[in-house]
Amino acid sequence: MKERLGVYICHCGGNISDYVDVEKVRAAIEHEEGVVFAKTTMFACSDTNQTDMVQDIHEHNLDGVIVASCSPKLHLTTFRNVTERGDLNKYTYVHANIREQASWAHSDDKLGATEKAIHLVKAAIAKSRYADPLFPNQFEAEKTIAVIGGGIAGMKAALSLAEKKSNVILIEKGNRLGGHTAEWGSLFMTDEKGFELTTRIENDLRKYNNVTILTGEEVIDTKGSIGNFELKIRRQPQKEDDPMEIMELHVGSIVVATGYDHYLPKQGEYGFGTNETVITLPEFKQLVDKSTSKSLEFKGKKINNIAYVYCVGSRQSEGENTYCSRFCCTSVIHTAIEAKKKFKGIQNIHLTRGIRTYGKQELLYAESLQMGDVYLEFDEHTLPEIHTEDKKTVVTVKDILSAGKEMEMEVDLVVLVTGMVPRADQSIGSMLKLPKGRDRFFNEIHMKLRPVETVIDGVTIAGTCQGPKNISESVNSALSAATKSFSYISKGTLETEPIIAKIDQDACSWCDKCSNACPFDAIEQIEMGGRTVASVNPIVCKGCGMCTPVCPVDAINLIGYTSEEIMSMIDALA
Amino acid sequence: MATKINPGFSKELKKYGAVNMNACYNCGTCTAVCSLSTTDDSFPREMVRYSALGLEEDIKSSLKPWECYYCGECTANCPQTANPGELMMSLRRWLTAQYDWTGLSGLLYRSLSSTIAALLLVLAGVLLFANSVDFNAERMLHIGHYFEMTAIGAVLLVIFLPNLLRMWYFTIVKPKVKAPFKNYVTALSDLLVHMFTQKRYKECDGDVHFRWLEHFVLVIAYLSLLFTTVFLNWFGSQSIFVIVLGYVESFLIFVVTIDFVGSRIKKNKSLNQFSQPSDWLFVIWLLLMGVTAFLVRLFIDLGLIETQQWMYIIHLTVLAQWALIIVPFGKWTHFLYRSFAMYFLKIKSMQ
Repeated sequence: MKERLGVYICHCGGNISDYVDVEKVRAAIEHEEGVVFAKTTMFACSDTNQTDMVQDIHEHNLDGVIVASCSPKLHLTTFRNVTERGDLNKYTYVHANIREQASWAHSDDKLGATEKAIHLVKAAIAKSRYADPLFPNQFEAEKTIAVIGGGIAGMKAALSLAEKKSNVILIEKGNRLGGHTAEWGSLFMTDEKGFELTTRIENDLRKYNNVTILTGEEVIDTKGSIGNFELKIRRQPQKEDDPMEIMELHVGSIVVATGYDHYLPKQGEYGFGTNETVITLPEFKQLVDKSTSKSLEFKGKKINNIAYVYCVGSRQSEGENTYCSRFCCTSVIHTAIEAKKKFKGIQNIHLTRGIRTYGKQELLYAESLQMGDVYLEFDEHTLPEIHTEDKKTVVTVKDILSAGKEMEMEVDLVVLVTGMVPRADQSIGSMLKLPKGRDRFFNEIHMKLRPVETVIDGVTIAGTCQGPKNISESVNSALSAATKSFSYISKGTLETEPIIAKIDQDACSWCDKCSNACPFDAIEQIEMGGRTVASVNPIVCKGCGMCTPVCPVDAINLIGYTSEEIMSMIDALA
Repeated sequence: MATKINPGFSKELKKYGAVNMNACYNCGTCTAVCSLSTTDDSFPREMVRYSALGLEEDIKSSLKPWECYYCGECTANCPQTANPGELMMSLRRWLTAQYDWTGLSGLLYRSLSSTIAALLLVLAGVLLFANSVDFNAERMLHIGHYFEMTAIGAVLLVIFLPNLLRMWYFTIVKPKVKAPFKNYVTALSDLLVHMFTQKRYKECDGDVHFRWLEHFVLVIAYLSLLFTTVFLNWFGSQSIFVIVLGYVESFLIFVVTIDFVGSRIKKNKSLNQFSQPSDWLFVIWLLLMGVTAFLVRLFIDLGLIETQQWMYIIHLTVLAQWALIIVPFGKWTHFLYRSFAMYFLKIKSMQ
C-alpha cells in the first residue's frame, strides 16, 4: 500500500487547461489519502519538469507518482523512465489521461470536463496505492536463427546474420539454393544472370563456419516460442528405400522466406493450353535465355512478332488476385529488349494495363520505346482476345490510347505476363500460425512501422512470402528481417513485459475456458500435485486480459491490473 | 472491323523526317498546349499514336496534319522529347507523297540523291536549250516567258488537279462523308480566305504575329511577282509602273526569305531544328528566284543583258527547277493542300 504519492496535473499548453480547470482538479485531489503534494505544470513532459519530478521523488521520499496528462500511448514510457531515474520501480507509475478522455472529448462542457478529470485522477490515485513493483521476465534465448527458404531472400538473410556472427541454419526444401532467382536469365539492371547471382551469394555463405545449409530438408513441425523454438526437420528421401531421417533443431528466432509460386493461367485463359503459340513469361525468359541461334525459334517456327499480354493473374477484376505483382512490367520489358537485341527481326507489341516500371526501371521503358516497341493499353473490362485465323494467331484489343479503337495484329508468339501468387504449400504458415492478408500472402504487423515482424513473437518474414516484390525489394526486406530476428536474441537473454496473466493454481480446476479465450495460445494444461491446472507461458502472454473475466472461479489476475486495483479505481470513479 | 496495326510504319516515316516519335508515352501534353487543337478536333497526340501504330489509312483520311501550322509549342513542352511538331511536319510530307499520283514526291522526299539528280537534269536541259538558240538573250527571254506560262498550265492540269482529286477522295469520299453540292459552293469563300491570308496561322503565332506577317508578305509578294512576270511580262514591259512593281516584289521576297534561311541556320525556333533537304530547297530557291529576277531586270535596265546572257541562264535554271521540281513535287504544294484541307474541313463541319 503506497502512502506517499505525488500528483502532477498538466496544462498541455492549453490543450487541457483551456477546457479543464486544472487548479480546481488539483484542489479537489490534494487532500486525498496518501497524497503528499499535487502540482500543476505547463508541460509535464518538458525537460525541466522531468528534472523537478526526480528531485521531488527524492525530497518528499515518494513511493508513487501520478501524472494526469495526455494519452499513455504518448508518454507512459516517458514518465515510467522518470520514476526509474528517481529510484522507484517504473511499474508503480500510474498515468491518467485527461486530454483525450476529458478536455478534447468534452470541449463543449467545461464544467463536466473538469468533473470527469477529477474522477479520472482520483481513480489513478486509487490504483497507485495498490501498484506493486514489477520486474520484466527474463529468459535464456537460443543464439541460433533458422531461415526457412533458400531463395534470394533467405540466402541474403542468412548471409546478413552470418556477418553478424550469429549461428544460422538455412533450411531449403528443394535440392539446391537460389529459388526462382536462379531460374531467371539476365536480370535488370546488372544483366547478371540469375544463377550467377545466386551462386555468388551461395559461395559467400559457404565461407562462414557459423552457417549450416540444409538442402532437401523440410520443416514438418514447430513448437515453442520466441527464444526457444523447436523445429522438426525431415530429410527428403533421396532414394525410395532411404529411411526417413528426422532431426530436431533448437533456435531462438525464425526468418520465414518461403517465396511465391508463378501464376499458372487456367486452361483456355487467353488461349493458354489450347493455342500452342501462347506461353507464360517464365517460359519466354527461358526461351530467350537458352536460344543460341540468330533468329528466335519456337517449336520449329521462326518468331518475328511477339504480343505480350500484361497483368495475367494479377489485378484481376474477377478472380482473387486483385494485387499488382510489381516485378512483371519490368521483367517483361527487359526480356523483350533482350530478345530484340539478341535475335533478328523481332517486333514487340505490348498489351498493357498501364506501365508500372517505377523508379529507375522507367529507363527500361524509355529504352523500349526508343527501340520501336509498340504499347497498347486495355482496361479490366475489355481484355484482349486471342484467336486463330488460317492457322495464324491473331490478337485483338480495344486500345484506350486510341480512343477505344479496336486493333488487330497477327503474331507468332503470345507471352502471358504472369505474376506472383502465394505458395500453394502453406504448411510453414499453418505451423507457425502466421496470419495472412487479404491477398493470401503472410501479413506483417504494420506495413510501415513494423514491416517484417509478425504477430508471432520471434518470427519475421522476408521476401515474396509477404507479397510480390522484385529481387532488390526482396533483399531489402530480407536484410531488415534478419536484423530484427537477430535483435530478439542477440543478448542471449530475452526480456518481456511483466504485465501478464497469473493463475492462482490452488483455485484453478482446469475447465479450459481461459485457454480457449487466449488469442496467443499462451495457456497450457499442466499437472501439479496430482491436479490438472492451467499455466501461463510468460514469454507468449501479451497481457491482453482476455482470460481474466472468463474464469468461473476468478483464479486469474492480470499483473498490473489486479482485481484489487481495478475495483479500487471503480470505487473512486463512482 | 478491327484495324490492323503496322509498327514498321515509323521506319517509313523517319525517311520523311520524323524524329524520335517512338519516345511518346501518350501523356497528351502536346494536345493540351496546342493553341489550335479543340475538344472535338484534337491533335497532335492522336496523330503521334496513329503513326506509332502505323494506321496508314486513318492518317491518309485525316486532315489534321494540315491543321497544324508548326508553332513548336508541343515540341518545346514534350516531356519525352518525342518532337510531335516535327512528326506533324513529316506527316504533311508523307501525305503530299500519298496525294501525288506520279509517286515522284515520295521519291524526292525520301532520297536526296534523286533530288540532286533532278536538279542537274533540269540544269542540263536549260543549257541545251540555251545552246540551241545560240545563247541569244532576246530569244531566250522570249521563249522563257512562254515556258513559264506553259509550265504553270501543265503543272496545274497534269499534277495538281488529279492530286487534289485524290486528296478529296481520301479525305471525303472514302470515309463516306456525305456533303451536298451546295456545301462545296458555300465553303468556297473559306478556301479563298485561307489560301490568301493563312488566317489560322495567326492563332498559333503568339501575340505579335510577326511570323504570320512575314509569311503573309512572302505569299502575296510571290503571287504578285508570278502575276507580274507571267501576265504583265515584267522582263519585256516598258511600263514604269510594272517595272517598279516587279522590283518591289522581288525585293520583298529576298528580304523575307533571307530571314527564313537565317532562322534555319541558327535553329533558334523549334520548327527550325530539323530542316529537311526539301525545306532548304524551298527557301533557298525562293530566295534565288527573288534575287535572280531582280538582277535580270536590273541587267535589262542597265543594258547589260545582251552581253551578259549568263545572268538570264542562271535565272532560267532556277525558275525551271522551281517550276518542274519544287512546285509540283516539293514543299510548294503545302500552299494548295493546306487551303484545300481548310476547305474540306469546312465542308465536313457543315453536315
